[in-house]
Amino acid sequence: MTSDRIHTPRECDEFQQQLPGLFDSEHGLQQHAHLRTCKNCSSLVRDLEYIAAQAKLLLPIHDPSPAVWNNIQTVLSRQAKDGNKSS
Amino acid sequence: MTKNTLRTAEKIPSPTPSQPLTAEARPVHQQQRRNPPIAGELAAIALAQQGDGASFEVLYNMHKRRVYSLCLRMLGNVAEAEDLTQEAFLQLHRKIATFRGDSAFSTWLHRMAVNVVLMHLRKKGLPLVSLEETLEPSQEDGPRKDFGTRDLTLSGSIDRITLEQAVEELPPGYRMVFVLHDVEGYEHNEIAEMLQCSIGNSKSQLHKARMRLRILLRQKADGKVDA
Repeated sequence: MTSDRIHTPRECDEFQQQLPGLFDSEHGLQQHAHLRTCKNCSSLVRDLEYIAAQAKLLLPIHDPSPAVWNNIQTVLSRQAKDGNKSS
Repeated sequence: MTKNTLRTAEKIPSPTPSQPLTAEARPVHQQQRRNPPIAGELAAIALAQQGDGASFEVLYNMHKRRVYSLCLRMLGNVAEAEDLTQEAFLQLHRKIATFRGDSAFSTWLHRMAVNVVLMHLRKKGLPLVSLEETLEPSQEDGPRKDFGTRDLTLSGSIDRITLEQAVEELPPGYRMVFVLHDVEGYEHNEIAEMLQCSIGNSKSQLHKARMRLRILLRQKADGKVDA
C-alpha cells in the first residue's frame, strides 16, 4: 500500500533512473522507500513487473514450414553422399 | 537431471567454438520450468548420436517449434527465421555427438540457436545493442513521471496476442534483450556475454524495452476501449 504524498518530479526521476538496477536487486524493489509513498512510481513498477511476468508465459506458437525439414534432409543426404565418395 | 542445486561449476559443451560458454548460474529447477524434459527425448538423443536419421527427425519435431519461435521473435522475419532454424538444426546434427547431458538438451540446443541468430546478425553488420537506443534514449523511453495521468495499470489487460504484437513492434536492440531475458529466461550476465556488451547495458536495454512495451500496451488497451 502507498500512502499519498506529493513527490517532486526530481524525486521520481532519481528513483526511475535507478530502476534498471533495482529490478535485479536482492533487497526487493517493493521495500524501496520511494515506492511506499509514490502512487505514480508504484503503478509504473507494477506494470513493468506485470509485463515481465506475462512475457514468461509466452509460449512458442509458431511452426516452421515443412520446407525447412525438407531442406535439412537434402543437405544431410548430400553431405552423406559426399562423405561416402571421399571415404 | 535430478539435482536441485545451483549449477555454478558445470560446463556445457560449446555450441559454437567462437562463443565459448561460461559456467551457467541458473538453477536447474528454473531451466526445467522453461525446458521441461520431453518423453522419449533421451532415447532419441542417444540414437541420433550414433547417426540414426529417424531419431534426428524425432528431435527436430520435438524442438522445431521452440527453436523457430525463438528465431522469429529475435529476427521478426519469417524467411530469415526459417533459414536460421535450418542452420541451427544442421549445426545440431554436426555437434550432437558432443552433447554430454550436463544441461538439459533443450537448453543446449536453444543456446546454439541463439548463437546462430547472433552470428547471422553480426555477419549482416547489425549492432546487437543499438548505441543510439542506449545512449540517446528518446523522451518516451526515458524516465516518465506520469503526473496528472489517470490511474491505469496494465494488470489483467494484456492477452498473449497483444503482447506478441507489441514485442514485434520493439526496436531490434530492445527486442533482442527482452526476448532473451524475459521470454527465454537468460540472465543478464549471459546476455552480456552473448551480445558482447556490459551487464549494465543489458539491464538498461531491458528496462527501456519494458518501458516501451508499457506505452505500446497502453495504446493498444486504449484502442480496445475506444473501439
